[in-house]
Amino acid sequence: MDSLNPAEQRELSSRMEKKQMKEFMTMYSKLVQRCFDDCVNDFTTKSLISREEGCVMRCVDKYLKGSERLGSRFQEQNAAMQAGQLPGR
Amino acid sequence: MSFLFGGKPQLSSAEKIDAALTEVEMVSDMFNRLSQSCLKKCIPADYREGDLNKGESVCLDRCVAKFFEVNVKVSEKMQGEAAMRQGGAAGAGGMFGM
Repeated sequence: MDSLNPAEQRELSSRMEKKQMKEFMTMYSKLVQRCFDDCVNDFTTKSLISREEGCVMRCVDKYLKGSERLGSRFQEQNAAMQAGQLPGR
Repeated sequence: MSFLFGGKPQLSSAEKIDAALTEVEMVSDMFNRLSQSCLKKCIPADYREGDLNKGESVCLDRCVAKFFEVNVKVSEKMQGEAAMRQGGAAGAGGMFGM
């Protein structure tokens, strides 16, 4: 890949930051949706009952830990794949 | 590739930044799709504890490995198919050439 000059680097990282912000918001709304769907099914009350709240907390915990784990495995695999591919190019 | 055409291809700043961004996007898109599938497949909807248990952790690890394997397999198959089609076309061309 062609190297970028400092001005181009700045432009790239500012655009990446915007993208990351957007991805973070997407991730957040997906998390809300998943934990809501899995934990909240009882509409006989107006606010979350303790069982639902506990479920949501555990759901968020688990989901974040799972994403983190996937992230590190993904990086390992991606690095391995790129290393394996280079001689072929 | 550039050695094929002699000089370096002259890319404008905008093109270079777009290319770099596209590359990052491809990787992050793949990660998003992988996350969606693996979290769905490996984490059951009963949240008895906030930590990942052994089974879930192992499932996630294997899911990532398999997701990559499927990527490679599909890409190989598609490349093979494309090569076959090109080979077929070249063969036909040869026939016509006769």
